[in-house]
Amino acid sequence: MAQSFYDVILDTLPATESRLEVLFRQAGDGFIQVEYGRAQRANLQDSFRTQVINEIILSKNLPGLIETVPGIRTNLFHFDPEALSVQSLIDTIKEAEESVKSIEDIVVDSRLIHLPIAFEDSETKKAVAKYVKEVRPDAPNVIDGYNLEYIAMCNGVTVEEVKKMLLSTEWYNSGGGFWPGGGFFWPVDPRCAIVVPKYNPPRTWTPEGTVGIGGPCVFTYTTPTGGGYQVFGRTIPTFQFSQKHPLFKDSPFLYKSADRIRFHEVTEQEILHIFEHVHDKTDYQYQIEEGQIVVKEYMEFYNSEAVQRGAREFQAKQREGTKKAPRL
Amino acid sequence: MLKVINPGIEVIVEDWPGRLGYLGKGMAPSAAMDNVALGLANLLVGNPKGEAGIEIAGGYFEAEFGADTVISITGTDMQPTINGQPIPIWESLKVSKGDKIKFNHFGTFGFRTYMAVAGGIDVPVYLGSKSTCIFGSYGGYQGRKLQAGDIVDFGHPTLELDSLRGRKLKQDVIPQYAREWVLRAVPGPNTCSDYVTEEGMDYLFNTAFKISHSSNRSAYRLQELKEGFFAREDGGVGGSHPSNIVDHAYAMRGSLNICGNTPVLLIGDGPTLGGYMCVLSVINADLWKVGQGTPSRDFIRFAVCSQDEAVEARRAQRALFDEKSLA
Repeated sequence: MAQSFYDVILDTLPATESRLEVLFRQAGDGFIQVEYGRAQRANLQDSFRTQVINEIILSKNLPGLIETVPGIRTNLFHFDPEALSVQSLIDTIKEAEESVKSIEDIVVDSRLIHLPIAFEDSETKKAVAKYVKEVRPDAPNVIDGYNLEYIAMCNGVTVEEVKKMLLSTEWYNSGGGFWPGGGFFWPVDPRCAIVVPKYNPPRTWTPEGTVGIGGPCVFTYTTPTGGGYQVFGRTIPTFQFSQKHPLFKDSPFLYKSADRIRFHEVTEQEILHIFEHVHDKTDYQYQIEEGQIVVKEYMEFYNSEAVQRGAREFQAKQREGTKKAPRL
Repeated sequence: MLKVINPGIEVIVEDWPGRLGYLGKGMAPSAAMDNVALGLANLLVGNPKGEAGIEIAGGYFEAEFGADTVISITGTDMQPTINGQPIPIWESLKVSKGDKIKFNHFGTFGFRTYMAVAGGIDVPVYLGSKSTCIFGSYGGYQGRKLQAGDIVDFGHPTLELDSLRGRKLKQDVIPQYAREWVLRAVPGPNTCSDYVTEEGMDYLFNTAFKISHSSNRSAYRLQELKEGFFAREDGGVGGSHPSNIVDHAYAMRGSLNICGNTPVLLIGDGPTLGGYMCVLSVINADLWKVGQGTPSRDFIRFAVCSQDEAVEARRAQRALFDEKSLA
């Protein structure tokens, strides 16, 4: 147990060949945070492990456990401490951790959701124009009235190449949060790991369906809101407050943790047509495939010579691009 | 029902404990900023303690009753009147159809007033709660604060109105208000020695922080930290500032988030995930004090608390909302 009041690591599990050290951090009265490793890193394998352990815990229907909130390298457990003690929760998580011996055992349920995107459509262009007019007239991330040139510049590639990267990898949801219905999507293929700075200061308006990127994460805006991500274009609704469309009948949310999305390019007209068939006619058929991520296969892909070489080459271009791109 | 004449500054429908279980969907619990005042107001009119009531922040609310009912007013003393006549707070009273209720501004102590109505407030339950999330525009009364002309419906009282009028609280049940609010807090998840220096943590627990004017239902912003707080040069992969971290879920409600050099107490409608470190969490049983903390005037002071004390404080608070608390 903790030695001083500020020592908040309540318990640990040692690192093994397949996982980092597991830290159980006190995070409030009714909250603990499970963290993988002490160093900050963003690596999908930590998230895969989080998802699997999370599923094991949730399947136990522990009395007093209110919810879990997985992230890329942490999981927050929210519970009623009068019904579930901190130590018994930690013991349950430890047992689950020990039951997953090696990374080869891990298979994550992961749906693949196909989403159309119209690059540089007129609605998101309006959002950028409004930003320049009302918030930051000299915004260096707005080139020719849009963010695509800036995204490309920061990554040392052309606009066509940056679009191709967005389209050619699947994007993995490490978990939702921050804004209703949102997910945080990371590239499955490290050769497509685009990174950009966020708007400074943020926008005051972003239309529903906007596809943006901030740091390494892609986000699809679920409702009109402010926002700080650089914009690519617009996809279709991924959230519905009114729950009129059959897909949203049981809950207003589309995304689940560990979902993957894959974009394909369409015209703006097609996007507008689908909006109408989601929100008004409520007869649009979403393209969702059930699926899994077999972590052993993913690691083989990730560690393969071609992928690692490609990722290194891209990172070298990014370093050059970052030097040239104006800071925000 | 209630017809709104003057919507005041921020008057909204809130219940307790709010919309639990949706943090991972980006939805904060929202709910009453002062659940003790709301719970006692409900007790006075015979409602379950978590029933929705009207939360009045700041003041100047004015409305007309469309039916006879029993109400109670709790929280800061906004010198409420009915048809111009002062009415008592912390007790229940009968009102008649056509009566006009009017509130002045927040009192010498505290910032929010609650009005409970026998039978509760009849708004749709959205994802398990009647609470309004102002920041996300959902829940409560059409997802927003009340406006002039709005008609707010009431539920059906469980008891005869005459048996509910004139109920009072025992004197020691009425919470003590102050200008400096001591919030018991559990340290973590990001403390010393890896994120914050020991001196930094000592400073947090030994300083009275003024509540900033830019505080709202999502976040209470406090005065800036002093030099030497952080135990790291930068946030590594999480970002360039030492307060940055790879995005993680926030323990909502009550987490103290460090945004750059500004400590921000995340409450009600606040963000559920983000890229800043969290150094302590106000215990559940003390969240109500935040709701009475007055921006630009009051101070917050944190007091170290253990898990066991926090659980005991929850039990003690729950015991308040019992008929035994009535005088």
